[in-house]
Amino acid sequence: MASAGLKPGVPVILRELEPSSEMFKQGASLRVTGSLQSFDVESATATIQDGSVSLKVDTQHLRDVSFRTNSVYQFIGELQIREVDDAILLARIGRNVDGLDMNLYQQALLIRRQHEAKLLSSRRA
Amino acid sequence: MDQPLHLVHVKILAADLLSLTVRHTSPTTFLRCGRRVARAELVGVVVSRDRREKFLRFLVDDGTGCVPCILWLNHQYLNARTSSGPSSDHDPTAEMALKMSEEVRLGTLLRVRGKIASYRGAIQITVRDVVPEKDPNSEVLHWLQCVRLAKECYDLPPRSAQGRT
Repeated sequence: MASAGLKPGVPVILRELEPSSEMFKQGASLRVTGSLQSFDVESATATIQDGSVSLKVDTQHLRDVSFRTNSVYQFIGELQIREVDDAILLARIGRNVDGLDMNLYQQALLIRRQHEAKLLSSRRA
Repeated sequence: MDQPLHLVHVKILAADLLSLTVRHTSPTTFLRCGRRVARAELVGVVVSRDRREKFLRFLVDDGTGCVPCILWLNHQYLNARTSSGPSSDHDPTAEMALKMSEEVRLGTLLRVRGKIASYRGAIQITVRDVVPEKDPNSEVLHWLQCVRLAKECYDLPPRSAQGRT
């Protein structure tokens, strides 16, 4: 069902998901991207990696996504922080993004954030 | 002369779209930096869909916001009301809308174009067409186009205002 109250999955780069980051919050709606390192069939947990940073993604609610190691995936969902350093993304959306230029994606994301910050400050003014 | 924005589909991010100024005239008008906009083009991921008999409602998430979109599927009712002759079984508009509704699936990256509307106080898009984007880089290109167009065109003050400063 179309839920108007759904929060957008804010795109983040995996290395930004540190405990000190403002995005590292319980229940934060995020969009994460990384290549699939492993997939645990029993718990439906995927581990994605970008550079030297990895993140666990709970995919139990996803349908019609087939997982292939080393393919690039994007997930939208809510962050569940279990311990100080241990977090998992509870995915509600997942898709394969093989062919995505990660370098371009990350640079464009920074440009887009500057635009959003400008919009936010103009709204406050 | 100022480019009239209301004649084109403006490439826009959800955050910009959802923060347009709504003027409750008849019909409702939408302003961006004092300039009227009427149509929008978004690129984002479908995060929710609700199919009813006469319409499909879905949400497009581009990471800056979630935009409610409505695709009407009630062409046969409209045709029955407006047509005086015998109704034709083959209606290309209805067929196209139905085909587009099948493209709207959870997790699909879509390009959506349509009219900006207001429903129960919230901005939404009345869909004209949807195109699934196969290349994930097309979303990144859309972001950059939105930022560039905002800077170089959409958010420039109207000429009349520039003249006063």
